[in-house]
Amino acid sequence: MSLADQATHSSSGGSFLFESHPPIAIPENFDSDVQLMADTAFQFARNEVIPLIERLDEQEEGLMMSLVRKACDLGFGGPDSPEAYGGLGLPKSVATRILEMLSLNGSFSTTIGVHQGVGQMPIALFGTNDLKSRYLPPLTAGEYMGAYALSEEKSGSDALSGSAKAVCDGSDYVLSGKKMWISNAKWAGSFIVFAKVDGQEFTAFIVERDMPGVSISREEHKMGLKGSSTARLILDNVRVPAENVLYHPGQGHKVAFNTLNIGRCKLAAMAAGQVRSALSIGTKYAKERKQFGKPIASFGLIRDKIARSVSSFFAAESMLYRTANLIDRAFASVDPNGNEVEENRKAAEEFQIECSLVKVFATETLSYAVDEALQIHGGYGFTEEFPVGRLYRDARVMRIYEGTNEINRVFAFDRIVKRGLVEKLADASPTTVIHEFLIRGSRAAKDHLGEQEIVACASDLAMLHFASQSANVRAEQLKASGHANSEVALAAASHFEAVATTTAASRLIELLDRCGLSAKVEMPAVSFAGSATVSEAAFEANGYPL
Amino acid sequence: MKILVPIKRVPDPYARIRLNADSSAIDTTGLKFEINPFDEIAIEEAVRIKERSGSEVVVVSIGAAECEEQLRKALAIGADKAIHVETVEKFDSLGIAKVLKSVVQRESADLVIMGKQAIDDDANQAGQMLAALLDWPQATFASKVELTDSTATVTRETDTGQETLQMPIPCIITTDLRLNEPRYVALPGIIKARTKPLDKIELSDLGATAECNVEVLSMSQPAGRSSGRKVASVDELLEALRNEKGAAI
Repeated sequence: MSLADQATHSSSGGSFLFESHPPIAIPENFDSDVQLMADTAFQFARNEVIPLIERLDEQEEGLMMSLVRKACDLGFGGPDSPEAYGGLGLPKSVATRILEMLSLNGSFSTTIGVHQGVGQMPIALFGTNDLKSRYLPPLTAGEYMGAYALSEEKSGSDALSGSAKAVCDGSDYVLSGKKMWISNAKWAGSFIVFAKVDGQEFTAFIVERDMPGVSISREEHKMGLKGSSTARLILDNVRVPAENVLYHPGQGHKVAFNTLNIGRCKLAAMAAGQVRSALSIGTKYAKERKQFGKPIASFGLIRDKIARSVSSFFAAESMLYRTANLIDRAFASVDPNGNEVEENRKAAEEFQIECSLVKVFATETLSYAVDEALQIHGGYGFTEEFPVGRLYRDARVMRIYEGTNEINRVFAFDRIVKRGLVEKLADASPTTVIHEFLIRGSRAAKDHLGEQEIVACASDLAMLHFASQSANVRAEQLKASGHANSEVALAAASHFEAVATTTAASRLIELLDRCGLSAKVEMPAVSFAGSATVSEAAFEANGYPL
Repeated sequence: MKILVPIKRVPDPYARIRLNADSSAIDTTGLKFEINPFDEIAIEEAVRIKERSGSEVVVVSIGAAECEEQLRKALAIGADKAIHVETVEKFDSLGIAKVLKSVVQRESADLVIMGKQAIDDDANQAGQMLAALLDWPQATFASKVELTDSTATVTRETDTGQETLQMPIPCIITTDLRLNEPRYVALPGIIKARTKPLDKIELSDLGATAECNVEVLSMSQPAGRSSGRKVASVDELLEALRNEKGAAI
């Protein structure tokens, strides 16, 4: 069922930094049941969601809710929520694959992604059995949607600085404050709300929409995701029973951040689905559009855009399922006799570095893919007559929410240093040029944690190493198993390595210079030749060929 | 009532088909396989009958180990039991019909619903041959099916319009495209299918043998289609249709 049996050795968080070519879980090894589930998800997105996207963007009353109900009827309401509470109890990697295939359109993707993800996960991971039985069955059945309320007007990346308050009054808490950027606000029946008890103790609560004092503002006017709901949640002395506290009072940050760890992995899956859309729209248009007497798909610069998008996506997808499997294995090793909530917290936390890096990498791959898909359309891409403009606008927020890519970069390297991984990395023998750059860069950067420009360079080196290693190992595994796509996979991995090595060199040069060190970097020859095989395969497949 | 639905594993109808090096068969490297779409309509119809009136739906597939994938999908859609006649032998339509006859008798099936043809060889024969072998009435190309305990009323799509037949049960119905629209395979169904029975049997268990009197000499890709042209008016179109060789609506 899961990919859990594939990679037999156990890994701990961040071990990609120093392990050389470890076996990894790859999406090609999902069994036929998972394949069938992914097929259903893809068909649902293609046949039920895509034909409605214009009407969804106009916020036609009741349309999104009915679509989500339909999706919940098929089991998409809570694929990885516990079976005992209406979910399907599937491994995170399977839920991730399903979400990827459901995510061809950004608005629907965000809606269903928040509903089955951050809207439910805090309850599934940190809730008491009573809370699980009260909230998860209606959520998974799609009776109402779930939402997650962390940000405020003046508190974004600095999430713990929020001013929403909870005051203990007998057996209740009385909540007041304003939460902002709440996805699904319009349709949500339950909100995971973070507020400070007595202005001090950061705490997670489940707040019901119908509780007196809860109101929702008008919808925000967004540049994209117009079909999703984003509004403010206003809490005006809302009385919430003490049993609706998730985990412990004062421990809300653990609920918030560990949910976001897994949320980031899932966000990468949401980006992945949209990359698939960008690639299919881009390749199709390039084959139809003729200039100088031939399809523009025959021109080198158009082919290169497709090749770079595909190779980068191959790397993103490889990181994604490798990470999702690592998370599965962390959850699989949860001691059933131990403290379930504590064990869940540890499992969700273990691969926080990988989760942040795959979020950043996948969303930036998406940015590149939609930008170039639009460019392929020329002037037509700049109009609303073609679907690519929507894709471009919808993609933009992916680099902002679930932790901005800036905060994720800072966080990832900070964790690498605080977990003592730089020392382990220093002992590793370099396996590739990028790895060598990473070893050199992280050693220099570890004493400059206060300087974000340096930290971001180091994070990028770690990310490029993670991406490139994942792509290479996956391609080699496909080759070893005689997979039909192995030739294209090897080409994509080697093309990506060329792109990543040149990027890594420039990041290392900047890092060293900013650290006041000699920025001389020996740059080996790299080969971009794989791009021809990759773009050929993409045009043949009318989209992502792997 | 026990409904038997024979299903065939075929290449994904949306896949691009290539031939192998010596043009003796299609190249199956990396090719995705599906339940024959007409058979999926048959499964859907049988499952709807079951949901209305509580029948038992048994699916059967004859072929190599990989057919289990398609049988599992049929179980996920809602069939109760699957039978896999595992064999790597070749069959023609009559050969398949003979094996199916043994399965019908072994299962004491009351009704067989199957695709009118498989999209790989498009033979459109096995259903009719099975009816003859069993000496059961048949209604092919069904676009509507109504059942009572003893009769089946079937609307058929023919070249000259619709025809409605009534026949006693047991009988054989082959499905056309417009009979129904198969459902999405729901996730809980996929999970439930794992615990449903899937019997693996061999030809010898049925007292059957592999028969194939058809020999494939070679295969070729269909010739490319030359591009059309735009006409300026209806008159010009009619003129072209009347006088140009090979022109047709």
